[in-house]
Amino acid sequence: MLLSIVIFLPLLGVIAIALLRGLGATAIKTIALGIGVLTFVISLGLYTGFNADTGTFQYVTQENWISSLGISYHIGIDGISLWLVLLTTFLTPVCILAAWDSIDKGLSGFMMSLLALETGMLGVFCSLDLFLFFVFWESMLIPMYFLIGVWGGERRIYATIKFVLYTMAGSALMLVGILALYFQNDNSFDLTTLSGSFEHSDLLFLAFFIAFAIKVPLFPFHTWLPDAHVEAPTVGSVILAGVLLKMGTYGIIRFCLPLFPDAAEKFTPLIVTLAVIGIIYGALVAMVQPDLKKLVAYSSVSHLGFVVLGLFSQSAAGIQGSVLQMINHGLSTGALFLLVGMIYERRHSRMIVDFGGLSKRMPIFAVIFMIVTLSSIGLPGLNGFVGEYMILFGSFVRGAFSKVHVVFATAGVILAAVYMLWMFQRVMFGTLDKTNENLPDLNAREIVVMLPLLLFIVWIGVYPKPFLSKMEKSVGIVVTKVQTTEPAMGRLEKQKPRDPKLALHGTQHIQDEKSEKEAETK
Amino acid sequence: MPIEINWQLLMPELVIALTLIIVLVFDLFDSISKTVLGWMTIVGAGIALWVSIQMHQAGTVGTQFNEMFKVDSFSLFFNIIFLVSTILVALISMSYLDRGDRKQGPYYLLILLATLGMMLMAAGNELIIVFLGLELMSLSLYVLAGYFRESPASSEAGMKYLLLGAFASAFFLYGIALIYGGAGTTSVPAIAEAITADNKSPLLLAGMFLLVVGFGFKVAIVPFHQWAPDVYEGAPTTIAAFISAGPKAAGFAAFLRIFMEALPNLQVEWSGVLILLAMLTMTVGNVIAIAQTNIKRMLAYSSIAHAGYVLIGLAAAGAAAGNEAARSEGISSTILYLLIYCVMNIGAFGAVILAKTEDGESLMISDYAGLGTRKPLLAIFMSVMLLSLAGFPPTAGFVGKFYIFKSAIGSELYLLVIVGAINTAISAFYYLRVVVTMYMREPEEELAFTPYASTLVVGLILAVIGVLLIGILPSLMLTPAQNSVF
Repeated sequence: MLLSIVIFLPLLGVIAIALLRGLGATAIKTIALGIGVLTFVISLGLYTGFNADTGTFQYVTQENWISSLGISYHIGIDGISLWLVLLTTFLTPVCILAAWDSIDKGLSGFMMSLLALETGMLGVFCSLDLFLFFVFWESMLIPMYFLIGVWGGERRIYATIKFVLYTMAGSALMLVGILALYFQNDNSFDLTTLSGSFEHSDLLFLAFFIAFAIKVPLFPFHTWLPDAHVEAPTVGSVILAGVLLKMGTYGIIRFCLPLFPDAAEKFTPLIVTLAVIGIIYGALVAMVQPDLKKLVAYSSVSHLGFVVLGLFSQSAAGIQGSVLQMINHGLSTGALFLLVGMIYERRHSRMIVDFGGLSKRMPIFAVIFMIVTLSSIGLPGLNGFVGEYMILFGSFVRGAFSKVHVVFATAGVILAAVYMLWMFQRVMFGTLDKTNENLPDLNAREIVVMLPLLLFIVWIGVYPKPFLSKMEKSVGIVVTKVQTTEPAMGRLEKQKPRDPKLALHGTQHIQDEKSEKEAETK
Repeated sequence: MPIEINWQLLMPELVIALTLIIVLVFDLFDSISKTVLGWMTIVGAGIALWVSIQMHQAGTVGTQFNEMFKVDSFSLFFNIIFLVSTILVALISMSYLDRGDRKQGPYYLLILLATLGMMLMAAGNELIIVFLGLELMSLSLYVLAGYFRESPASSEAGMKYLLLGAFASAFFLYGIALIYGGAGTTSVPAIAEAITADNKSPLLLAGMFLLVVGFGFKVAIVPFHQWAPDVYEGAPTTIAAFISAGPKAAGFAAFLRIFMEALPNLQVEWSGVLILLAMLTMTVGNVIAIAQTNIKRMLAYSSIAHAGYVLIGLAAAGAAAGNEAARSEGISSTILYLLIYCVMNIGAFGAVILAKTEDGESLMISDYAGLGTRKPLLAIFMSVMLLSLAGFPPTAGFVGKFYIFKSAIGSELYLLVIVGAINTAISAFYYLRVVVTMYMREPEEELAFTPYASTLVVGLILAVIGVLLIGILPSLMLTPAQNSVF
């Protein structure tokens, strides 16, 4: 029940705004923000009531919906989806607050799209019925389509149609996969009863994987992303990078890995190669971007490559790292897009050459920007480091694929430092241009928008245990499924596949490493 | 031998026949406002609808006139589709026709006649009855397509439709003749008995293919579709809505009945043909629709593509090969899809009519620029219908497509479903383009839109409610559809 409230409360907000749109801009914004905050507060109840001792689904509700087709309204969350739900409920009010003054036309429509999108995203993360999952997956396209298409930049129509068509092409294949699974699952769409081996599992795996790979986006399916990001309004980019991309990686961990472990293993070499290409390619392309927003967009391609790498590492540390990195990327990249949006509102330009020396004029902005930049690079003590370290560690130790991949991926970390710091340097240091002399620093509202993000960026970096402990058991279940077969490559270290301490070991290792590095810096 | 007539079985048809007589009589009095005729049509169709629903729920089954006329839940479900279409079309027609110089009596009369023809087609248990129904329907439609005599486009549409339609009827009739030659009978159950696995005379096969051609013309399947865009564009918009909905459903009703009941032993032959036609129809319809700038032509190609989706269900029923569950799923998905399609397509045409300016209808897609802010109600109607046609949840279009695809996977037609699913993505492009134009583009010139007509708005609200209700609670119509399998 609690979960249903969280999912559908934003939809209630949509209806409320539709009815009360005559009350004026402030009222609309207040309603939207109120609903967003309320949803987040209620969703915190999901966290506190979540039992970390079990990896199975919790808060499960199952009601008959279309009983003659074996479809039910079946929702629930485990330790993986819990975090994505919280990330969604957290980012939405942040976005509403961030868009407070920047939307001048169609405000009620904007807020309605945003809240409808929240319901769609939450539904995707909570669905335990394949049909329900698909319904949310598709219906979430419509509000996003409007967000980019109506409130976007100059080439918004091209970008929004490209976004919808890419996603729909992928979901067409997934639909075929879902239907084929239905007949092998005793005429039911219930995800929890799906198990065992399936006929044509290679094809089914690909049908799902391509749909998710487009969403992630994995190289070479990424070409829609820069367009969508650049043309989307700031808030659209934040949601896109923060949550929508995670639906792809979430799909992989929820469907591709546990349902088709053999096929997953078979395609692992190909997929991780694409992931590593994505990491390096995304970083190299980001490096040469003259446009701040495009730079951040390409950095997403690179970061999501890490997540995919970790997901296919077959190790608890790697997969946990990936889940954590999904949250991290949502926070850091979300924050980066917000910051780029704030500076765009002041200067109406996103070109790096137009800036320089901003740190003198906007010190608060510069400090926040620096923290977020460092988090994105993966500086120890901030969130990005924990996730990336766990992914690389898990991939290397478990040896599910060649270590060359891991070596190249690690090089991506260095490239990230290059493009982010170089960008930071060009924007913040140097001489202040005359046109930029009157740019005001962040106002109170903008600081309020950024503070919660900074809080979590530091929290996850310093003390990730509360985050990892809740997901440990659920990740463990996925790990047992993918590890039932011997890895193709030789292993460095004999690991007990079902040992729950494995994950703890990974965490421990990170904390040791971190304290060392912190000691060094001191 | 005296014929005992069970009047109760014929109730829906009788109500429609009575209504059309009343309309005919009242049309003679000049003092009566002509919109009254429209209301009579709606009331008559409403009563027939209510009767059909009651009979469907009671599970009425029976045959009449030496088994030539068969009433079962299948024909009753189709009655519901036709009558819902007729009511919606009458609602959107009233304001459209409301100009002093236009005669409205024959218009409603012809619509009722066509509806009666459709009902005959769905209930025909005999090829001759099906042909009679087909002709009754088609002849009324030829006249309706050319109803605006003063408009050259409308006259041209009527003429084109007549010539090509007559051609198709000839094919159909020739097919019947050949089947009669091969099987020695025109009664549907008797043909099924006459065709055994080892008695597949070439006459029967030739007859079957001619029937495919005849039906192909009537329901606008590629490569027999060329008439559709021209007729839809030229005909009065309400008639385009009508032709694209009810008659198409009626064609498919007879198609299903004849091929599943009379020719089950030729399933291997015809299901292969249908798979091919389905792929061709969807792809050609959707791809050509992308290039259209006129919204009526776009909707025409879209309705061709939708005939392709319906064919998936037919092919699934045909390819079930002894799998009873897959067969009935194929049939029920086809009829559910037809119901949903009729509602959303009439809704889409209704929204086109709503976008009326002082100098006529807005038919160019570019005319819709900026309607999202200036005509929010119209834009919402149009968007819901187009999103439903594109198959986005939570609309009925999604449910229909999902169920059709599911039935095809049940018959293991994987390739067909992949083609269908990719076509769904293609179709999203041109449906969304209209939505893009409405919400994301600024108008080039100010168009003076006429105020909304209340009946039109009522019709559209009903369509929107239907589309959303079936989308959110599919069981409402899904269970009846599943119970309507013969």
